Amino acid sequence: MSQASGLYVAGDSFFHRMDGAVKLILLLIWTVVTFLFMDLRVFAVMLAVGVSMLLLARVPFRKMALLFWALTIFTVVNSVFILLITPRFGTTLTESDTPLIPLGYDTVNTETLFYVLTLSFKYLTLLPITLLFIFTTHPSRFAASLHKLGVSYKLAYAVSIAFRYIPDLTKEFRTILNALQMRGLGISRGDGTLLQRARNLTQAVVPLLQSSLQHIESVSDAMDLRGFGTKPQRTWYMGKVMTEGDKLIALLCVILLAVGIWLKRSLFPGFWYPFG
Amino acid sequence: MQAVITFRQFSFRYKNQSEPTLKNIHLEIARGEKIWIAGPSGSGKSTLAHCINGLIPFSYGGEMSGQLLLDGQDASGMTIFERSRRVGTILQNPDAQFVGQTVGEDVAFQLENEAAPQEAMKAAVSSALELVGMQAYEAQGPHELSGGQKQQVALAGVLSAQADILLFDEPLANLDPASGAKAMRLIDEIHRSQGKTVILIEHRVEDVLLEHIDRIVVMNEGEIAAMGTPDELLAAGVLPRYGLRQPLYLEALGHAGLPLTEFAGLTRPESVKQTEGGSEQPGPPGLSDLQLKERLEAWAASVPSVARGRLGDPLLELRGVSYAYEPGTNAVSDVSLIVRSGETVALLGSNGAGKSTLSGLITGLLKPATGEICLRGEVINGWSVRRRGEEIGYVMQHPHHMLTQHMVRDEVRIGLAARGVPEPEQERRTEEALQICGLYPYRNWPVSALSFGQKKRLSIAAILALQPKLMILDEPTAGQDYRHYTEFMEFIDRLAAEGMAFLFITHDMHLALEYADRAVVMAKGRVIAEDEVARILADGEITSRANLRETSLARFARAQGLASPSRFVEAFIAAEKKVKRA
Repeated sequence: MSQASGLYVAGDSFFHRMDGAVKLILLLIWTVVTFLFMDLRVFAVMLAVGVSMLLLARVPFRKMALLFWALTIFTVVNSVFILLITPRFGTTLTESDTPLIPLGYDTVNTETLFYVLTLSFKYLTLLPITLLFIFTTHPSRFAASLHKLGVSYKLAYAVSIAFRYIPDLTKEFRTILNALQMRGLGISRGDGTLLQRARNLTQAVVPLLQSSLQHIESVSDAMDLRGFGTKPQRTWYMGKVMTEGDKLIALLCVILLAVGIWLKRSLFPGFWYPFG
Repeated sequence: MQAVITFRQFSFRYKNQSEPTLKNIHLEIARGEKIWIAGPSGSGKSTLAHCINGLIPFSYGGEMSGQLLLDGQDASGMTIFERSRRVGTILQNPDAQFVGQTVGEDVAFQLENEAAPQEAMKAAVSSALELVGMQAYEAQGPHELSGGQKQQVALAGVLSAQADILLFDEPLANLDPASGAKAMRLIDEIHRSQGKTVILIEHRVEDVLLEHIDRIVVMNEGEIAAMGTPDELLAAGVLPRYGLRQPLYLEALGHAGLPLTEFAGLTRPESVKQTEGGSEQPGPPGLSDLQLKERLEAWAASVPSVARGRLGDPLLELRGVSYAYEPGTNAVSDVSLIVRSGETVALLGSNGAGKSTLSGLITGLLKPATGEICLRGEVINGWSVRRRGEEIGYVMQHPHHMLTQHMVRDEVRIGLAARGVPEPEQERRTEEALQICGLYPYRNWPVSALSFGQKKRLSIAAILALQPKLMILDEPTAGQDYRHYTEFMEFIDRLAAEGMAFLFITHDMHLALEYADRAVVMAKGRVIAEDEVARILADGEITSRANLRETSLARFARAQGLASPSRFVEAFIAAEKKVKRA
């Protein structure tokens, strides 16, 4: 059987060892800083830094491929729509208009093309750090970190328990679909029209819900029986004490934010267009 | 000695039910005792367990009367947390109770909730894992463990929390025979070395009796129906009165006309001995060991073998089928087998032997890497899952994986509609299938109102209506008590008598023994034996290679020095069939 498990990829890089809470701070600040700017130079630098961090973490590409392609396709589709619907949008930012590709009803100008390029880079800048967070943070360490950042431990554990049971439910869902398929109520091409197949898929929902509810009952019994939620605080077997290094990174994150804000106000205030 | 658990005139009624589930329970359990609570499903065993561990009233409310004392203190004043420090519960479903991401975290779960410091947790987890022999798995996730290993982790979890009473709620329900025996041995070791009080709730009689039990408490309809040492209750023949099965070797003694009251050491097939000096009871007084042996031999010879019906033509045939999930490691290697029409075959093997993979290959969910799958001589490797489903019906272990509709009748009809069967024909076949399965009176009921056994039969009806020639049943009797088990299998037996071929996928040897014509044994992806069931299950070499267990009948026959254990097993099956047909 396929080894269904979470997204976490075991490893021992700098990022695997980094405290989950610090990683979360890094992700948040990185995102904020990215959204401050609309400047290709900034994104190029950040992307380069992000990619090198990702390489350092040694997450195998095949694990990340799905998310990578999903974001790439989203970015491309997004760009195409911007170009088709508002082919002269760039002009509102640069106040210049250099016609480039005639569309018939309008013309795409260089400004818009460059705007779309910058925007795509912006999204791409977020990708490495997000992947880094997802793939190097152990779900239970993450729960411990959330708790450390002040989130109630019940909520934090709910996140962790969801990670724990998603593979079980996926397996269950597949079993139900198999049973339906064998009775001729499948969802593959030979099983009827698209509508019929969609209807067959919905048949699986009720049994899945029922068995999830049963599952939840057993899980909550198991947790109650072992004293979950009876004390205002709990400790974490996998929790880590923040090291000096972690604290330093957290400090660097704050500095990054400060530098970002300063750069935004002084050097790179708006959309950067080198050909204007 | 002070009792750790005391029930006095204890009754309990769930808040949405009109009748009490537990009635007037009087029970004292002493410190360090090992108690087995037995009884048919619905007898109140689990409710009793919930009362002990505090899920009642904490999670399931209701009305309670009488007294329940833990360590001499009134339990009603305790929180579930205080109770969990005294009573450690191991639940039936090893998947659901594995709440951590890794073994270590799961074992530490209770300590985490008690806000224990990390250092202390690490130490407690490591020593608890050592007790159950799972230290090497500390960093593994639940998906890398077998059912038995998950249960060992659950046990370590309650051991790390230092509870004095260990409560096992049907610990064997999800385990194959070898893992079940291992679990019982582990429980026994912990009981002895740690001095814990152990309470086991189970209905698999022979498996529980593998290890020493101090006392059996038999529950029936919410009351304690009998209580005593295993020897006392077995000799008195109490178990069969309450939906539990006597060990087969004791049933065999009964068939041979030997009263159990003249024997001692009834809990194990090897230890059965006649009591010294015979007895005052009527019957043959004080047979010598030799006479006993002759008596048993004579009985085995006197029972005529069941004439096997004429064998039909090959229906399903596998020729050299192999399959690998990952290149290099075959889950199924070079498997060949034949199921003839009208035949009932048991596919035996422990968990991980490749049984499910093989059924996936037969139903078409998996495509074989090499080999041919034939139906009536025609190669069907290229057939879709849907097309195979018309000829080969597959009934899953859990009916809730198969039942998707609101109404009973719709559940049967939907498969027919999907196959384009015309309306009036749909109606006719639906009714017929429901009639056969004894569900016709419930045709307009919601599926959710059916009992587990009825749901199981409904899942069969849904397949039956498609008129397959072969039905594959995956663990058809798992988790059912003896009465439901017998009812269900007698129903299957009637279908088989009418010409349906069956392939049971199971690790239940009793099931194979009594209901299959032939057994195919798998181990490590290969077929290692194929023969009449009695002969296979009396062959210690095959059963140990397949990680199955030799039937207790054969072990008994061997201990008595009988010439042919397999003849003894066959005689038993024939005698049982005669009783059931009568």
